[in-house]
Order: sequence, then C-alpha cells, then structure tokens
Amino acid sequence: MTILRRLLAGGLTLAFTTCGYAAEVVVAFGAEPVQVDPTRSSAGVDLYFTNLFYEQLLAVNPDLERVNWLAESWEVDQNGADTVIRVTLRENVRFHNGDILTSEDLRYAYERQSDPISRNAGRFRYIRDLVVLDDRRFEIVFDAPDGAFIPLNLALWAIPRRYFEEVGEAGVQAHPIGTGPWKFVSRKPREELVVERFEDYWNPAAQPAADRLVIKIIPEDTTRVAAFKTGAVDWIDAVPPALIADFETLPGVRVVSLPAPNNLFLNINATDPKHPLYDVRVRQAIAHAIDFDAIIEFILYGQGIRTAQLAPGSLGYDPDLAPYPYDPERARALLTEAGFERGVNVNCYNLTTPREPYIKEMGEAVFAYLTTVGIRCRIVQLEYGAWINLARVNARPMMDGILSTMWGHGLPGDPTDPWSGHLHSTGDGWGPYSYHADPELDRMVEEFRTTLDPATRERLARQLARVKHDRVAGGLPTYRPMITFAWRDTIDYRPWPGAFWRAMRHIGPARAGTSH
Amino acid sequence: MSDVAPAPLPGFGVGRAMRRVVGRGFPWIAASILLLVLVCALGSPLIAPHAPDAISLRDAMQPPVWQEGGTARFLLGTDNLGRDILSRIIAGARISVTIAAYAIVLSGFIGALLGMAAGYFGGVVDAVISRLIDIQMSVPALPLAMLFAAVLPPGEAMVVIVIVLTYWTWYARIVRGEVLSLRERDYIALAKVAGVSTPMIFLRHLTPNILNIMLVLATLQFGSVIVFEAGLSFLGLGIQPPQVSWGGMLADGRNFIEVAWWLITIPGIAIMAACLASNLLGDWLRDTFDPMRRQI
Amino acid sequence: MRRYVLNRLWQGAVAVVGALLIVFVAQRLSGDPVALLLPMDATEADFEAMRRALGLDRPLPVQFVVFLRDALTGDFGHSYLWNMPAMDLVLERLPATLELALAGLVFALALAVPLGVLSAVHRGGWIDNAAKLFAMLGQAMPGFWVGLLLIVFVAVQLQWLPAYGRGTVGHLILPAIALGWYPVAAMTRTLRSAMLDIMQSDYVRMERAIGLPERAIVWRFALRNAAVPLVTLIGVYFANMLGGAFVIEVVFAWPGVGRAVVEAVFARDFPVVQAGVILAAVIFVVVNLIVDLTYGLIDPRIRHE
Repeated sequence: MTILRRLLAGGLTLAFTTCGYAAEVVVAFGAEPVQVDPTRSSAGVDLYFTNLFYEQLLAVNPDLERVNWLAESWEVDQNGADTVIRVTLRENVRFHNGDILTSEDLRYAYERQSDPISRNAGRFRYIRDLVVLDDRRFEIVFDAPDGAFIPLNLALWAIPRRYFEEVGEAGVQAHPIGTGPWKFVSRKPREELVVERFEDYWNPAAQPAADRLVIKIIPEDTTRVAAFKTGAVDWIDAVPPALIADFETLPGVRVVSLPAPNNLFLNINATDPKHPLYDVRVRQAIAHAIDFDAIIEFILYGQGIRTAQLAPGSLGYDPDLAPYPYDPERARALLTEAGFERGVNVNCYNLTTPREPYIKEMGEAVFAYLTTVGIRCRIVQLEYGAWINLARVNARPMMDGILSTMWGHGLPGDPTDPWSGHLHSTGDGWGPYSYHADPELDRMVEEFRTTLDPATRERLARQLARVKHDRVAGGLPTYRPMITFAWRDTIDYRPWPGAFWRAMRHIGPARAGTSH
Repeated sequence: MSDVAPAPLPGFGVGRAMRRVVGRGFPWIAASILLLVLVCALGSPLIAPHAPDAISLRDAMQPPVWQEGGTARFLLGTDNLGRDILSRIIAGARISVTIAAYAIVLSGFIGALLGMAAGYFGGVVDAVISRLIDIQMSVPALPLAMLFAAVLPPGEAMVVIVIVLTYWTWYARIVRGEVLSLRERDYIALAKVAGVSTPMIFLRHLTPNILNIMLVLATLQFGSVIVFEAGLSFLGLGIQPPQVSWGGMLADGRNFIEVAWWLITIPGIAIMAACLASNLLGDWLRDTFDPMRRQI
Repeated sequence: MRRYVLNRLWQGAVAVVGALLIVFVAQRLSGDPVALLLPMDATEADFEAMRRALGLDRPLPVQFVVFLRDALTGDFGHSYLWNMPAMDLVLERLPATLELALAGLVFALALAVPLGVLSAVHRGGWIDNAAKLFAMLGQAMPGFWVGLLLIVFVAVQLQWLPAYGRGTVGHLILPAIALGWYPVAAMTRTLRSAMLDIMQSDYVRMERAIGLPERAIVWRFALRNAAVPLVTLIGVYFANMLGGAFVIEVVFAWPGVGRAVVEAVFARDFPVVQAGVILAAVIFVVVNLIVDLTYGLIDPRIRHE
C-alpha cells in the first residue's frame, strides 16, 4: 500500500514537473559577486559564481570530509631538503570547451594566482615553483612547509590555459569556462545568471539533476521572500532570521539552517600609536562593552554561534577560552585606566551586505553599545561592493577605526589563512586586511603557518588564539552566523559546503523518495 | 518649454476640498499638525520619552500600546533594536524641519533674486535666467540627487544642496512673472525717473509685493521637501544613521514588513501628515492673499 | 508653425547641453574627476592617460568641450565594476523603466479621467467630494510608501499580486499604482475644471437645446475639448514619472535604470551614475519636446503664433 502510494505520488510529481521546461530550477541569491575568474577573486562572495564553473584539486563533501577531487592522488614529501606536494590529476577531466585538463593548466593557475596583482598572492608565499612532470603529474615545491595550503584545498583553481590566453581577461569575464558541473549560458549583472548542466562532467556522483539553473539576484530581504512565497523562485538564499519560524510553518516548504563557514569580527585598527585603539585596554573595553548574547538572541533571532576566537569544530577551537563577558562597568573602568575617562571618538564603519543576515542592524547595535560606555562612534555606512572595490587595490584598504566584517574559515574550519590575512602585520603578501602589528604575534603566525603536523598545529593554534584573545589583536571575533535556505519540495536539494554552502550540486526536480 | 506647460505644484485645488471638511475659515487641523511638528523639532530632546538612538535589545519589536503585547512605555512600539518609535518620530521631525528650513530659505532667496532680476531687467538677463531655469528643469530631481549623492559626502548638507538646486526654479519662475507685471506699474516707473537706485527698487518696491506669494510657495514647499528628503533617505542617499530620519526609518523597517507593520506605517503617517498640513495651509494662504489667483 | 518648431528644437538642444553641463560641474565638484572615472586599482599610468584624455591641464571651458565631444560620440565612461560601457549598461535597462513609467501613466489616467469627468458632472456630489479627499491624501503620500503598503497588504497578506519581478501584467500592477499615485490628484483637478468651463459654454448649452443626450455631450464633446490641458500634463508627468521610477524601482526590485543607478552610487561606480542621469535628462527633454509640438498641433493659437 505504502509502495503504491509512493509510486502514485512519484508519478504525479513527475507528471507535474515534466510539463514545460521540466528540469529548470530558479533560485534567488541575496548577494552577487562581480568576479567570475577564480584567479582574480578578492572576496568570499566571488565563490558564489566561480564555484559553479571551476573546481579545485580537493574538495569538502557534504559530510565535511576533505576528499580528492580533480586530484586522483597526492602526497606530501618532506624527506628531501624541501617540502614537496606531488599531485596526479584525474584522467579525462574535460573543460566546458572540450579541452582535457592537464598539468599545464595548473601551472598556469599558479602563475596567475601568485601574480602580485592577485589579491591572494600571499597564499603562495612559501611556494618556490610548480614543476610539471607530465600531462597528469606535477609537483609543488615549497621554500617552507605551508599549513594553510591543504585547508585551502591546495589553493589552485583549474583554469583552461589555452582558452584564457586566447580570449583574454575580458573574454573570461564574458564567458567563464572551467571543469565544473555548470556551464555558463548568460548573465545580466544585478539581475540573473543562467547556467546549464555540463553533460561531460567527470563526476556523475556530484552532477546536478537540473538541466538549467537560473540564479536571480534579489538583495532586498522583503522582495526575495515575496519572490519565494509567490512562487517566482523555487529556492532562496538567506531567509531573514525574523521569518524562519514563519517559513517552517509553510506547507510544502523545507527550511535548513547551517553554520556559515564565515566568522564575523570587528576589525580594529591598532597600528597608530597616537590613536586610542592602539591601547590594549581600550580594545578590551570594546570587548566588554557589547552584549553579543543579546545581539544573537534579539537581533539575529538566535541565528548565530558566539565565538571567543574560533567556532566549535574548527582547528584550534578551545572550549575553555570564553568570550569577554558583557560588563559595561568594566569597560568604563578600562577606559579610565587608559586615561580616557571622558571617552574617545572613533570612526566606525558599518558594513552592509545582503550576504550576512542583519549585519547592518548588528553593526548599529554594536556601535550603540560602544557609544554607551564612552567609545563614541562616528558611523560611516560602507556598502560591501564599495569595500570589495577598495580591496581590489593591491594594498591594504584605508580603515582608521572599527569595521564590522567577516572572514571565511572554511568547513569544518581552519584559521591559518584568516590569521595570515588579518592578524599578521601587513606587507610582503601578509595581512592584506590586517590593522595590527605585533612582532611576537607575527612570529607565532609564521610558526603556525609553516607547521604541517596536525597535533602541533592544534597546539599552536590554541596558543595563538589565547594571545590574540588577551591582546584583542587582529580584531574582536563576535559570532559565526547561521545561514538559512528554503526550498519548495517540488525540487530535490541538498546543501553542499562549497561556496559558503551555495554550491549548487545536488539540485533538481523532485523524484519520489529522493527528497532530503 | 516651461512657459507652455507649467508643472502643477502640489496643493493644486486642494484648498477648496478641505474647506468642506474643516469649514471655510482657517484650517485649524492643518495648522495644529504643523505646530506639533515644529514643537517636536524644536524641543525634541525634552519631549521625547527616550533617547531616539538608545537601543534596548530586550525591548525589541514591541507593538504599539493599543495592540496586544504593547506597553505604555513605548506608545508607538519599538523597532528591531528596541528603540522607541515615538522618540524617533520626534527626533525625525527635527531633522526634517531643519533641512526644510535651510532649503526653503536658500532656494527662496536664490530663486526670488534671480526671478526679480529676470522680470525687472528683461532682455538678455531674462533670456539667460529663463534658459537656466529650463536647463535646471530638464534634469529630473531624483536623478540629479543621485548624481550629487555620488560626488558629495552624504548627509544634511548634501540633501540641502540638492533640494535648493531643484526648487529655486519654483520661486524664480513665479517671481519673474509677478515682477513682469509689477514693472509696468506707475510707481516703479516714477521711482526709476526719480533716480532711485536699482537695489532700492528691489528692496522697497518689489520685495514687499512678492512677500505674500513667497510665503505661499514656502508653505507648499515645506511639505514637498519633507517628502523629497524622506525619499532620499529611504534610498540611503540622504540622512545617514545614527541620525534619525523618517525616510531612514522606512528603509530600516522594510526588512520587517511581515513581522512588524508599525515600523513602516508610523513613519509614513508622519510624512503624510506633515505634507498634508503644509499643503492645506499653503492653499489657505493662497486663497486668503489673492482669491483670484489659481495658477500656483 | 515652422518658427515655433525650430524654436522648441533649439530650446531642447540647449537644455540637453545644460544637463551635460550640470554633470560636468558635478564631476569637478568631487575634486578629482579622474578618481571618479577610474577603478580603484588603476595604475599611475592609467591616471596620467585619463588626465590627458579629459584635458585636465587645460582651462575649464576646453575641458567642457572635450566632455561634450565624448558625450556626442556616445562615450560616457566605462563601468569599472561591470567592465562594460556605462551607457550600454543603463540603456539595457531603459525598456524596463519606460514600461513602468507608461504603466504608471495608464494607471493615473484610468483613474483621473473618470474621476475628473464625474466630479465635474456631479459637482458637489459625493463623487466630487470623494475625489477631493482622495486628491488631498494622494498628494501627501509618497509613492515609495504607497509601494511599501501595497507590498504588505496586497502582495504579502492577501497574496493577490506578485511583489517582485518583471514579465507579466500582474507584475506591473503594484509598481504602476505606486508610481501613478501622485499625478492622479492633479490630473483629476485639471480635467474637472476644464470640464466645468466647457460644460458652461455656449456650445454645450446649444447642444443641450438641440436635445443631444447628456451622456454624449459629456463624453464626446466636452471631454474631447477638456483633454487639451491634460495632454500637456501627461507629457510633464510622464517625464516626471521616469525620474520617480528611480525610487519605485528600488522598492519593487524592478530591473530598471533607477535601480542600476542607486546601486552604482553605493558601489561608487560613477560612470554608471553619470550615464543614468544623462539618459534621464535626455528623455525628459525629448518627451517635453514631443508634448510641446503635439500641443502646438492641437492648439491653434500656438500654431499661428
């Protein structure tokens, strides 16, 4: 009986979804990247699109295990004088234009990604060279071992050398080509991206079921929600926390909340000895002045995980390291102790982006809390797009106060790359977003980064986290947001961790019994 | 093109409608609303029950007092940061009135001066000023505002500049027309013959004659400026937080439309009331000063 | 008539040049036009090249001529965010904006014509009073607020119409109401007073005497004549609506010019802002020109001027 009903239901769904363009799925994103070239990416949001078209040597699967992806196998060899990572590529992986992926393409990616005009050139600082052995084998030779390299899935993006050289930068922007599961069809900036399934994709297990995917860009919460409720889209990104409870009551709608691989923090410029923020007591006052538990409960409707430094599950997470408690009296006392009994004036940059739920409101609350204890904020609204634009300059963007911002830690989480980026002092490829300069911490970051042994890395990360915590260095961590997706059960969807859970891999029309 | 098709100004013909509603005489309701707005603006820190930017997360999203779950502490409810809506409306009045005051005085002064010059001197001066008016009117106000928002730092000064740029033509056009007819009057001709200096003629003879019409225009402009400023702030191009503005409140409340209706309803009502009152009072003034005039 | 047309064309040209002048002045107001027009990661050589291209070392009038020349050849700068000519980016969105403005106009007329005629015919009756009340409130409610209220009550609560997207007529209705809201009042009043004048004219009295049915007099004869002042208003309001659409587009996430310009302001993509403003001004001037010329055809006094 059950089987019969299931079959019937399945048949009906099938009949229903196969009329018209059966396997087209329409989704809505809140934020939109500008860049579609993974070797020119300057912000995590760029992954939203690049991840559809491009892939790396390793990947994290939905069970949060790191697995071989374009690499058939790889090994770390520390027996010789240098650390070497040897990689063998999978056979017969094709780009969308039919070209076969070879070692030369990875060599080309290395050249482009380590080019100083790339924002993330610092990720290749310890690499001396990438040597091609044959079509499918190459080795990466390190000056010193690099602990960030493996958590970044070996950092390289598979791009087709021949195509890139042929069409140039503008050609790649107009029509990106990679090995990924989706082929580029068309794009209207600020409106939509249309992609179709890549039939020759090498990995059937990770191939989407939908024939076509239309990604609408709807930054406004209200309109994105209305688009979903009125049926214009089948899936939405970033369900506003205030509406999650309401969504859970909608019939035929599935809702899932996941910890985002992104840690939010207040970046604090502590590099100017004449500025109050240079004084550790002022920074500690900031840490004590804000009631983040209340922010998470009332502004985010509980959709956040309070962090002292790192989130649970991450390398270096220390359950004994507690966040600074909310204590405005202590904050005022610290200010007085630092000689600022009349308070201080600080520029506060409030980042706004549809990418992080209620980040604008969170920023307003944070700056209001600060003002209450005497750290008077002059608030400047900073739109994420403008900030990324600033960050394209291959120098640290100017920020002379406090900025509410975020950094991706990956899943399950590893602080090596973020700490290289915003804790280590800036310069020489280090600290592209760093507003801190502490030689001792620099040494610790370098030691941590050049260690490969997992147990030692865990110990060093915890040590570093404590010192960073005590000195409120490299900014003040706040929380790891939860991100909520909703979809109608006419589609079959399972979140994949790539691109901040927005890797559209398991998505297609619903089939009987396969919904998750 | 403006002389063939003058854009109708807000308030056109509304006065007669209202007279049926509130009687033929002075529009008491409108005047009271405007007075209330002014009192709020002048005394906002004293009147407001709470500091407008004081957050209190545990009091977030309280509905207005008359709805279930509301409390008398927050008569009009609170927003998502627990800020008191009533206090914010009062503080918003201050910003709106301040901006309107600067904008009205500046655009009125510039517009009247240019209008008088055009009407009085005629000839090349008139041609140049009339062309300037045409040019200014060929760029719609909102796109113009966006242009300036892109090059100037956002805030009150930018908003005032944009409003003055948009509205001086109102005054200039009407004052020009008025002076054109005044100029032919005997006493002006006599003054000229008697050797009275031009600035004196402007000050003594022209200005008193256009004061009434200026007052009408200014009253009507008040409502218009409030809506314009609200629009800019709603887009995020006008008043910047933490300063409170009615348009900004609407923008903030937008994300909570489905859970807190009061966040977008109440500031909108404030805008509407202020604008309505200024339109009604402006119409009444116009009818009182010059019952024959129907063009403004 | 020919002189009238030439005169209007000349005025239109002056207005467009004037609008370009305003944009030019705004560029210079920022202090450094080069910084506005180049991406943040531009090299010193890019800066030098742009400075030369704009003629910044030369006197301002010469710079303006250079600016005009670029504008006439269709060069309004390059969107550095989207890596395409700024004017192409806004032109791509123009159809959506025109569609919205037209729909707004249709809504305004659909409401204003019957209201105006009926309130003139039943002067002092309940329709007249209701129309007045509506006009009074209508003029005080900002369109973007009306839009928000429509989203809450019509789209979200009643779920009658979609609140987002473009494509079907259903998608157009709410934004069109929000945009067409404001001019309804003025249009109604204009039509009403024109109708009142005509209904008291000798012609109408004569037609009544002949025994023509009242309905025919009102809707055929009177309305046709009363429509003349409305025609000019339509042009002005259509042009104004194109500007007003800039806010309504943001409220309804309508993919038009206005939304692109607002986003460009936030992303500091000045060439797009500049292209959008110039486009708006040109359309504004052209629409007014068309209206004036049409008016000249309708109104014999102007034709023989």
